[in-house]
Amino acid sequence: MSKMYVGENIIKVDSKEKVIGKALYPDDLSFEGMLYLKIKRAVHPHAILRKLDISKAEKLPGIVKIITAADIPWVKNFGLIIKDQPVLIGIGQKMRYMGDALAIVIAENKEIASQALRLIEVEVEKLEVISDPIRAIEKDAPPIHNNGNILATHYLEKGNIEKGFAQADLIVDKEYRTSFLDHIPLQVESGLGVFDAKTEVITIWAATQWIHDTQADMAQALGLPKEKIRIIQPAIGGAFGKREDISVHLHLALAAMLTKRPVKLTYTREESMITQSKRHAFIVRAKTGATKTGYLTAWQVEVIGDTGAYASSGPAVVRKGLYHCTGPYNVPNVKGVAYTIYTNNTYAGAMRGFGTTQMAFAYESQMDILAFELGIDPVRFRLQNAYEIGSSTPNQQILNTSVGVKDTIQEAARMANWKEESR
Amino acid sequence: MSTHKLTIEFIINGQKRKIETTPFTRLLDLIRDDLHLTGTKEGCGKGECGACTIIMNHQLVASCLVLAPQADGAEIITIEGLGEKGKLDPIQEAFIETGAVQCGFCTPGMVLAAKKLLEENPHPNIEEIKRGISGNLCRCTGYKKIIEAINLAAKRLTQQLEEEKGKEKNV
Amino acid sequence: MKNQEGQYFSPQQIPEALEILSKYGKEIKIIAGGSDLLVQYHDRLYEIAGWLDLKNLTELKKIELNSSEVSIGAMITHSQLEKSPQIKNYFPILSRAAAEIGSPQIRNRGTIGGNIVNASPAGDLLSPLIAYEAKLVLLSSDEKNIIPAEQFFTGPKKTILKPNQLLTQIILPLPPQNCYSSWVKVGKRKALAISTIALAMVVKMSEDNQIIQGAKVCLSSIAPTPLEIKEVREEMIGKTFSQVNFTKLAQLVEDKISPIDDIRGTKEYRKEVARRIMIHCLEEIYSCWRDKCLPIN
Ligand SMILES: Cc1cc2nc3c(=O)[nH]c(=O)nc-3n(C[C@H](O)[C@H](O)[C@H](O)COP(=O)(O)OP(=O)(O)OC[C@H]3O[C@@H](n4cnc5c(N)ncnc54)[C@H](O)[C@@H]3O)c2cc1C
Ligand code: FES
Ligand code: FES
Repeated sequence: MSKMYVGENIIKVDSKEKVIGKALYPDDLSFEGMLYLKIKRAVHPHAILRKLDISKAEKLPGIVKIITAADIPWVKNFGLIIKDQPVLIGIGQKMRYMGDALAIVIAENKEIASQALRLIEVEVEKLEVISDPIRAIEKDAPPIHNNGNILATHYLEKGNIEKGFAQADLIVDKEYRTSFLDHIPLQVESGLGVFDAKTEVITIWAATQWIHDTQADMAQALGLPKEKIRIIQPAIGGAFGKREDISVHLHLALAAMLTKRPVKLTYTREESMITQSKRHAFIVRAKTGATKTGYLTAWQVEVIGDTGAYASSGPAVVRKGLYHCTGPYNVPNVKGVAYTIYTNNTYAGAMRGFGTTQMAFAYESQMDILAFELGIDPVRFRLQNAYEIGSSTPNQQILNTSVGVKDTIQEAARMANWKEESR
Repeated sequence: MSTHKLTIEFIINGQKRKIETTPFTRLLDLIRDDLHLTGTKEGCGKGECGACTIIMNHQLVASCLVLAPQADGAEIITIEGLGEKGKLDPIQEAFIETGAVQCGFCTPGMVLAAKKLLEENPHPNIEEIKRGISGNLCRCTGYKKIIEAINLAAKRLTQQLEEEKGKEKNV
Repeated sequence: MKNQEGQYFSPQQIPEALEILSKYGKEIKIIAGGSDLLVQYHDRLYEIAGWLDLKNLTELKKIELNSSEVSIGAMITHSQLEKSPQIKNYFPILSRAAAEIGSPQIRNRGTIGGNIVNASPAGDLLSPLIAYEAKLVLLSSDEKNIIPAEQFFTGPKKTILKPNQLLTQIILPLPPQNCYSSWVKVGKRKALAISTIALAMVVKMSEDNQIIQGAKVCLSSIAPTPLEIKEVREEMIGKTFSQVNFTKLAQLVEDKISPIDDIRGTKEYRKEVARRIMIHCLEEIYSCWRDKCLPIN
């Protein structure tokens, strides 16, 4: 195999610009005559907007415009998989989490924009706040979206689960819970927008992990052909999945279109945490069977993924988690179901591992508990069940190349100075 | 309230500057928006991340927690002030070579923290390096390569110093 | 610096500062290192009517030692406390507590005065200061008040400081020859961690180093203000180390505190940890004492 790159130290093309501070991230860019945006966000995690009074805020000297849903009736919802996320919440519509946008404040400087946020008066009709997915699926729970709180259900089946449990000498049945997590890319969401009145092209300088999908989603939301939207990636400042979703893009586009001036929007760190995606909090119920000699016979799971207020990549993430329910271990009989659930938490989306990280906590814990109960060294227990060439995954993919898990376990044990436990 | 102006003077990256500002402007904003030195970054605005790190009066400082007028009379170094005559500082070189730069957003602050650390302690051990950069968060690298970079820079700087001493002796 | 509107003052002399305070003290904010204020007013600095910046008051930037006490200027930073030979020598846990605050960037700007007046229940210098029996000098243009540190705090972020007063100095009585101290801070990480719980302990011994003559245990982050567990005194004073039951003392500390649940820890966690760090501190103090009394030769 070529040794040109693997294992070699390659100097990155952009690292010089970055060490001298000349790499330009979105917040480092500016244009003559640029205006600054701030977003008025939801005042309650689940409520119907009854009144939005911007009159005081509009009077503040330096305020150029405040855009509300009433100004943009043609604009449609957006979203990565399902278009369930509104650009601005209108009167009579629902805010579903604290990050929902109510108004775009456009001002001559950042300070005036923040001041104006505090002058906007909001009246809402509060609804029950659902912060727990278990509550969300109860019959009497208020639906957060029209079609109820179960956004997606995925199933998995391999072999015969009953037979598998019948062969087991030991069955371990446990529930695991993981928490939400923010990616915290060090650059917060930030971008600039310029509208060219002649060509009617909107240009956005902002990070995205799906440049063409973002363009397409923006175009459908704004009712424009794709060629009217141009996205330029500045230096990104970390992503980790958090930049798969649209953040500043649509608000910038609207502000640039309606003011015909260059505009800039940079979130605060708190705003980034409240508004943009999270790693899904999972509830994993795992039931695993093994023989006395330490071979896995059956693995059954139920996964409940809290996707928060909007779908984002949720259905794909939770399904991916389900498919990885046994980790890198051979199990002939597998059965599983995964629910992606809407709640009023900040929406969850892609984050490094895409659902598999949460599952790892569950399956590795199961493996430790089984090894302990069976009195088998946990490294040996893992090795004798680990995938190899020819193994089949829970969704019955046959692994026919590059299966390194046994080597990895052995190397990890060596580095940790692991001594086989004899009990 | 915010329209009240005052004039402050300071030295930044070796240059004397006189500039009008307000009592409500953060030094970070003055550096980025008024002086257009955008190498100094904002990651949190609350002293937690170190992206806004500068060296002010020979000390490592989070510029998001300093008012512009507090910098009156100060001597300031930002990332743009490192290196001489178009040559990179050995710390910058080491960051590039060891792969300590990923998204690069933490890099300016991290390099300045390393600079300050090596000035005060030319031969830091791993624990001392960790403490020296403990006010700077990096979300990409996992720090390992940053620590390697600082180690490498420390070695090179010591070598450089010894070579210079050697030259002096020869003269 | 010229300032037409009176929004930003940076006087060179204390009397001038006091005059500004007596005029505008109710409206303006005193600013030292700004590491608490700029966080509290993040994104809304414009709400502040004006500043009294202490940065030019050189009088407040001194650590002075005389035969009976050390006086620390309110503008002394955590970095200076950490590095000061006098502080390290006489008040080692004050230096240690300062060394564990925030990060280098925070220690270089944050001041002892700011830490005290900010009066956070998690303020890391407060417990050591109370354990060392610190007094605070509060100055206004009318009067000078010197009060024991523990009387200063009335609640979370609440103190007895009046709008016309400036905290100028922190006075610490020089400890006797045989004084031992210990400090433990428990946080989520080693740097940039607000204390989940912290404990400072100072034990003073008789001249012959045998009898305990003073014992102060003070905890942070377990009550609205830093809290001394006064009952410890009764259990220790007048005794020798061998007469003191560490387990019982630790239990006493656990029993006497009633912390709350918050984002940094639960009530149960804090009680349990309080007991354990009390034992840790007693053991550290005991081993220092033993090393001094029974030198290994
Ligand atoms: C990222 C970060 C991490 C931190 N970590 C810690 C930590 O680990 N432990 C800890 O204890 N603290 C921590 N802090 C809090 C803070 O740094 C300290 O409390 C610091 O000592 C405050 O001092 P300052 O000079 O910056 O105060 P400032 O912000 O300038 O002032 C704080 C308050 O005190 C008043 N004040 C200041 N000086 C005087 C004076 N001389 N007379 C009268 N009033 C005065 C001000 O008006 C204000 O109300 C942290 C802060 C940040 C941002
Ligand atoms: S921006 Fe100043 S420390 Fe994060
Ligand atoms: S390189 Fe991305 S935060 Fe450090």
